Amino acid sequence: MAMPTIIEPGTKGIKMNLTRRDFIKAAAAQSALMTAAVLFPGITFGDWQRMDDSATGFQWKKTPCRFCGTGCGLLVGVQGGRAVAVKGDPACSVNKGLCCVKGYHSIQALYGKDRIKTAQVRKDGKMVDVPISEALDLIADKMKETIGKHGKDSVAMYGSGQWTIPDGYAASKLFKGCIGTNNVEANARLCMASAVTGFMTSFGLDEPMGCYEDMDYADVFVTWGNNMAEMHPVLFSRMLANRKRKKDVQIIDFATRTTRTSQAADKSILFKPQTDLAVANAICYEIIRNGWVNENFVKKHVSFHRGKTNIGYGTEDHFKFKDKAQNISFEQWTEFLKDYTPEKVEKISGVPAKDIKYLASLYGDPDKKVTSFWCMGMNQHTRGTWINNLVYNIHLLTGKISTPGNSPFSLTGQPSACGTVREVGTLTHKLPHGVVMKEKARKMAAEIWNVPVSNIDPKPTYHTVEMFRALDRGDIKFMWIQVTNPMVTMPNLIRYREGSLKKDRFVVVSDVYPTPTTDIADVILPAAMWIEQEGMYGNSERRTQHFEQILNPPGEAMSDTWQLIEVAKRLGFEKQFPWTEENHIEMIWNEYSRFHDSPKHRMAPYNVLKKRSGVQWPFVNGKETKWRFHAKYDPAAKGEDFHFYGKPDNRAWIWQRPYEPPAESPDQEYNFWLNTGRVIEHWHTGSMTRRVPVLNGAVPSAYVEINPDDAANLGVVNGEMVKIISRRGSITMPASINGRGMPTKGQVFVPFFDEGYLINEVTLDAFCPISKQPDYKKCAVRLEKA
Amino acid sequence: MKTKAKKIGKSVSRTATVCLLIVGFCVLAVQTLNVRQVYAGDATPSFDDSGDKIFRSYEEIPPNYMIGDSGNRTLATYYDRRQYPGSPPVIPHPVETTFSKNKTECLACHAKGGWNAELAASAPLTPHPEKEACRQCHVRLNTDKNFVEHDWVSISPPRLGQAQLPGGPPPIPHNLQMRENCIACHTGPGAVVEIRVEHSSRGNCRQCHVPLPMTPLVRFERK
Repeated sequence: MAMPTIIEPGTKGIKMNLTRRDFIKAAAAQSALMTAAVLFPGITFGDWQRMDDSATGFQWKKTPCRFCGTGCGLLVGVQGGRAVAVKGDPACSVNKGLCCVKGYHSIQALYGKDRIKTAQVRKDGKMVDVPISEALDLIADKMKETIGKHGKDSVAMYGSGQWTIPDGYAASKLFKGCIGTNNVEANARLCMASAVTGFMTSFGLDEPMGCYEDMDYADVFVTWGNNMAEMHPVLFSRMLANRKRKKDVQIIDFATRTTRTSQAADKSILFKPQTDLAVANAICYEIIRNGWVNENFVKKHVSFHRGKTNIGYGTEDHFKFKDKAQNISFEQWTEFLKDYTPEKVEKISGVPAKDIKYLASLYGDPDKKVTSFWCMGMNQHTRGTWINNLVYNIHLLTGKISTPGNSPFSLTGQPSACGTVREVGTLTHKLPHGVVMKEKARKMAAEIWNVPVSNIDPKPTYHTVEMFRALDRGDIKFMWIQVTNPMVTMPNLIRYREGSLKKDRFVVVSDVYPTPTTDIADVILPAAMWIEQEGMYGNSERRTQHFEQILNPPGEAMSDTWQLIEVAKRLGFEKQFPWTEENHIEMIWNEYSRFHDSPKHRMAPYNVLKKRSGVQWPFVNGKETKWRFHAKYDPAAKGEDFHFYGKPDNRAWIWQRPYEPPAESPDQEYNFWLNTGRVIEHWHTGSMTRRVPVLNGAVPSAYVEINPDDAANLGVVNGEMVKIISRRGSITMPASINGRGMPTKGQVFVPFFDEGYLINEVTLDAFCPISKQPDYKKCAVRLEKA
Repeated sequence: MKTKAKKIGKSVSRTATVCLLIVGFCVLAVQTLNVRQVYAGDATPSFDDSGDKIFRSYEEIPPNYMIGDSGNRTLATYYDRRQYPGSPPVIPHPVETTFSKNKTECLACHAKGGWNAELAASAPLTPHPEKEACRQCHVRLNTDKNFVEHDWVSISPPRLGQAQLPGGPPPIPHNLQMRENCIACHTGPGAVVEIRVEHSSRGNCRQCHVPLPMTPLVRFERK
């Protein structure tokens, strides 16, 4: 298979109606018709299928974007019951009227012809259409039967950071509160878990202390393994606008691969995979050596700690790890940092010592406000928690935190990874407030949920990777998957696909389009998508964003929340789910808000959410909180300035974390690094964006980026097929040389959006022992010319 | 006596004028309020809120751009590059795919417009040159095949020439958000034949052209 042919200039955009178009194209060339167009106003020649002009009632409706965690406010134009146009919402402070190419075309993702509109059930190996009520009956029966035979921990829920807040809340209440199993996980484990454990270990409370407004104040931006130009484009352009306005702003791209972000940056610094750990320590070493420590801040607000080392990689089943914190002194930590001089770290990381010193001088300059950004590069990391801690260390050492422009900022990848997974707590160890291990948290949940406290199991069960391993082993027999596509995204995919297909496993999938995950389903439920239901998302900067139901879902499609409620009722939990279709979102919001009713986390009331284009929590006395942990901005903070109230010692924690190598590194046999990720046009597994004509047109299929030198050694040219082989599997795909991005020598990069090239059959299911988040960025492969 | 009456008359008429003014203002205010409610987030706010931008962008346009030409490109071509009126157009010409350390060079041509010898075409001006991450919204197509069949339906592009009187100035039929620079699309290489204007040197477009509401008006009734 060759690379797709490039359309030459003159060829027009996506065709919707060929015959008419061709006719018009030919005709339009004649000046007679051009004159006609001027004489008869109203004649236009765009070749889309067109609305009937008599359809009236054009309206703009507000909603957050469906795609990434930025949480752009959109205005969706609605006419005749269909979404027909998008513009950025000028009233939304996130994007101030601007979108990216996905946002502008997002509504087209609603209209792929293969939308799932009816429920399907596997009968004699074949999927058969059934009324949705029959499918829901079957799900409830199957759950009862499985629990009866194998116990409550044999059924599991696997959700998503694309769940709305009510979706996740209903799932947590049903499984943890009513059924009594902690088998609730979400795909955010694969994208945000290290960010959470990073926050918890350093500050004791999850989610960023700063907000996007930091971008308007910062003088220096450092992107840590974060290709923002493609992954958070609207924030990236806000950063560029800030640089243009203020002239002396610097953007430093610190990455393992050269990307669009490196192109726009003032300086691009490349490091060897995993060595960000060493570089972060070296930056602290330099700050201390040069006397740039903010001593007043450190003395008053920071304490020092050490955790376990040699902590493993979780590649084996039933892997267990628990970190233990020990207090240390500033001097002990300084002593430890002596192993991380810029010169020593240059040898590990490949980053010239002068570049490390330069980075340290930017962080250390008391006159510069510094914002650090990161996302998957630091989170999908076998030491993800550690590298999160280490970047906080730099900001804490210099006191550059919790004030406008000084911000260690962890970005999210999904529209409600924060809102639904982190805040509602749809992870095995979590409750909407606190963790299942704590009696106080269980009591609170039991009271609000109206269930006996004994229902809530004090022991967490499986995190995501272990949950799919349990499905493979047979410890889990029933799994319900909503709004996510694990049969594309699980690392070491072959094992988990085969596991899910084993005899007497029962998999329910709620989705909007056919995917490799619906392929393995025993029941498929047609889901309402995005604005076809009412709901809320929560973005990266603690902003809760409400959207009303703007469109009707197609066929029998039903929101994930209501699917869960229907099944809950069939399982006999009417008392816990008494709401009507009309009021359930408001009721859920009111009930859920009770969990967060303190100045540390109070949520905005429903009527405020409905009115505004997003509201930041803590929302106290009618005011949003932009910066946490600082008395000037945060109603929960006491004293005159900083107050890190998340930890019992009222201090932020600096952690001593060493460099440790990744689970698998290139060797003689498998001599390349494999890195995976995204492109701007496609979002996650592409099940939505590939159905958008422009986005599919721009990047129709995946490819493997190879460094030009490696390609020459291998004897492949652009577009030729290359076989990528790891210890888990292999895949053959076209090479891209000097394309969108350029990996360093000895590294290849593959985007994961394309279900035609399942790169996760090659990746490794090693994870951070603290966060349990897999590392999709590093494993060893070899290449062959195919 | 006469003067006294005059004085009273004066003060009465003054009060009357003030009253009339207040009433008039109230009526106007109510009317504006109505309009504002109807157009929350629609064309009207940016028409005035971004007024300075409209003037500034006009000032910054190089004079030779004003006499540039789009050849015989038509509205059909214009809309062919868009998915719906107002969506970001795709990039219709080859762009450098070779990876280089240079920054995006789109603005080299599209910030000021003008003749591009390599493509043998005049480059249209972007109405929003302050935004530098061009490929955040504009993509180059590499295939014309859809991934699956698609059921997209667009609204019609705005109708042209909706002037109320023969020879009158047509209203602005589209939203102005991110298109505050009228010249960019209505004069020079960016202007396709149907919407080209010959009098752009007059500068203040909004002196004669007012936005056309996209939603039906709530009719004002005197009570």
